[in-house]
Amino acid sequence: MEPLPIRLTVADDLSRNRLTVAFRLLLALPHLVWLLLWGLAAGVASVVLWLAILFEGRAPRILHGFVAGYVRYSTHVYAYLFLAADPFPGFAGSSAYPVDVEIDPPARQGRWGAFFRLVLALPALVVASALGGGPGADSSSAWSTGGVVAVVAFLGWFASLARARMPAGLRDLGTYAIGYGAQATGYLLLLTDRYPDSRPVHVSPAPLLPHHAVRLTLRDELRRDRVVIAFRLLLALPHFAWLSLWSLAAVLAAVAGWVVTLVRGTLPRPLHRFLAAYVRYAAHVTAFASLAGGPFPGFVGRQGSYPVDIEVDGAERQGRWGVLGRLVLGVPSLLVSTALAGALFAVALLGWFASLWRGRMPHGLRDLGATIVRYHAQTHAYLLLVTPRYPYACPVVEGAAPSTEPAALGPAAA
Amino acid sequence: MRALRAAAWAAGIAAWALAAWLLLPSVVPDGLDLPAVDVDGVFGRQVVDDAEDFERLFLVLWPLSQAALLGTLWLYARRGARYARESAGGPIATGMLLAMLGLAFAWLSQLPFDLVSFWWLRRHDLYRLGYFEWAFGSYFALGATFLTACLAVLIVMGFAGRLGDRWWLPAAAVIAGIAAISTFASPYLVTDAKPFDPRLRETAERYEESQGVDGIRFEVERVSDQTPLANAYAVGVGPSRRVVLWDTLLDGRFSTGAVDVVLAHEIGHHSSYHLWKGTAWFALFALPGAYVLMRVTRRRGGLARPEAVPLALLAFAVLSLALAPFGTWLSRRMEAEADWKALQTTHDPRGARQLFTGFARTSLGDPDPPAWSQWLLGTHPTLADRVAMARAWAARQQRTP
Repeated sequence: MEPLPIRLTVADDLSRNRLTVAFRLLLALPHLVWLLLWGLAAGVASVVLWLAILFEGRAPRILHGFVAGYVRYSTHVYAYLFLAADPFPGFAGSSAYPVDVEIDPPARQGRWGAFFRLVLALPALVVASALGGGPGADSSSAWSTGGVVAVVAFLGWFASLARARMPAGLRDLGTYAIGYGAQATGYLLLLTDRYPDSRPVHVSPAPLLPHHAVRLTLRDELRRDRVVIAFRLLLALPHFAWLSLWSLAAVLAAVAGWVVTLVRGTLPRPLHRFLAAYVRYAAHVTAFASLAGGPFPGFVGRQGSYPVDIEVDGAERQGRWGVLGRLVLGVPSLLVSTALAGALFAVALLGWFASLWRGRMPHGLRDLGATIVRYHAQTHAYLLLVTPRYPYACPVVEGAAPSTEPAALGPAAA
Repeated sequence: MRALRAAAWAAGIAAWALAAWLLLPSVVPDGLDLPAVDVDGVFGRQVVDDAEDFERLFLVLWPLSQAALLGTLWLYARRGARYARESAGGPIATGMLLAMLGLAFAWLSQLPFDLVSFWWLRRHDLYRLGYFEWAFGSYFALGATFLTACLAVLIVMGFAGRLGDRWWLPAAAVIAGIAAISTFASPYLVTDAKPFDPRLRETAERYEESQGVDGIRFEVERVSDQTPLANAYAVGVGPSRRVVLWDTLLDGRFSTGAVDVVLAHEIGHHSSYHLWKGTAWFALFALPGAYVLMRVTRRRGGLARPEAVPLALLAFAVLSLALAPFGTWLSRRMEAEADWKALQTTHDPRGARQLFTGFARTSLGDPDPPAWSQWLLGTHPTLADRVAMARAWAARQQRTP
């Protein structure tokens, strides 16, 4: 895979200092003030960059370095603010930081692309805003709109205070959002003409994905039929209706399953089958509606029937305390799920236009959508007692490399 | 065996004919002689000219739109099956997708005509919605059509998968049952409505008593922000019966007598069991209609196979068009019966005349449209015929001691 001109590198070891975590927002204040000033200067510089590229086809090295420094610094600040990294960053944006971006030196850029950069950047900014990470979506909007990274920071704050350690899944989701934000800002500010890529594999080192009882299987070919795209929302209506009915039945089944699991320690197999099929079906429908999946799904949630599929392990023993408090324990993952739904909406909206235009779903958007579908499925499965495994938020499509931190049986794994 | 089958068919056809015959009676006297109406004199030359000018565009658009619809569905019947590859579901899910896509194409084929009609209505100040609202509403109305189509496909393909070519009998019965349920439930979809004022309420109760019904709910629906067109309707059966007047009827453009005639007319629909009868007619036509669909789709392997759905859509459209004259004839018959009941109830032919001339003036309804359009599209008697009926009623009253 060709490396991106703006690459995220992560060298964070997940450990967190409780004291700095407790006061993180206040500690970040001087950086936010400095970031604001630097941002204004970078904005002015990017206008000069724009003119230079329009005339010369290439950015002057000094200006490029100045704006690149701003993007690096903002990445450090956001990583610090949103608990994706622990050390207090420097103010120059030049020293190494556990969550950093590498930015290529100036290269030739297309003049038309530069001329229309503000318009062309809009879709990327929409995604960055939904993810809420990095300069593409300023920190105030990330907090106020409940962007993904804000929810990550909120949950990570409690987890880090309790365990002096950031959950790996949350950290990876946060760094992913920040990395995408850096790409979007770099593109907007003319550091590169390479469009931001939302595939989460562009992180060095690539995030690891621990084994989970609810897994994503992706066989989608990205091709989309334009007619099916044009009427996608309406075509999904029968599925929404059926999903609503099935959801009612699933809730009733889960309540019954909750009682039985409390007594027996295992969800009865027929209930597990029923609820697993529901989880799969909901994932198929979500994938279809958000364009992460191409074809019209079936109505029974059969495993292997859809290109964006969910594989569910068989019923396993569950700790009774975990079962007893399942609803409360599930709240953090529900928060992440809700925040990700905003990003999924952005995926669907932008994917709709792109697919209608090209007859093909952009790879990055599809992957982002598919990983969100997986997180939703894991959340459903956890809440409905299909699995005791906590949802894992890392936005990697596939891979089962062992994690530095095993998938825990509680919210800390989020 | 063959004789038994022939006997069963004969019995079925006889039962169908008997049911149809039982549904036909009307309180409008047989052989009622409608007097000739001087349309220009009654409605006014200018109103008639304006209404004719207004209606002319629709008379041109209708055949064109039908040609576009049938052409689109014909193309879809030939090539639509390839969209089956866009489905990851089983045969029924695939059938649903093909049905919805067929309807989507049909919708697209009608969009230019609908747009021109909408523009025309706006040009004549008969619609107040903007183009965006109209397009948005039209798109989401298509969603309701999709859901209905999916339900129909589920029923038809579900039975076809189990019963083969005999699916049409139970499927028609289930679809008729669902139509009855929707007739019952549809009044609950009217949301932006308020109760009658005391005068109307008192009048409505009097008319209910006069027509031998009770328990109807009366409401005024707010539509004046969307259109100045005046209308009213009767919906529901049994405990869900409602009569709804549009607030545009009560904005002062129609006399009290005219409004009372509308009220009595709508109550007449309930007292004549028109909603029940409409559902029964639907059930009666669902049977042969389903049979025809079964025969037509056999060549594509029958409706258990999703590939037959595009052809079924075309057959359904052709069938609907072929039956349109009979459907409109039935509708006109029921409307005439409700008009007669309104006259019997209000004893106010003058109010009826004010109402019908008011319709021509405010809604630009052509009092005397071309015979072919009335035959194909006229769900109500022409305004001239309705005025003539009021006169005929008055004449009979004078003859009766």
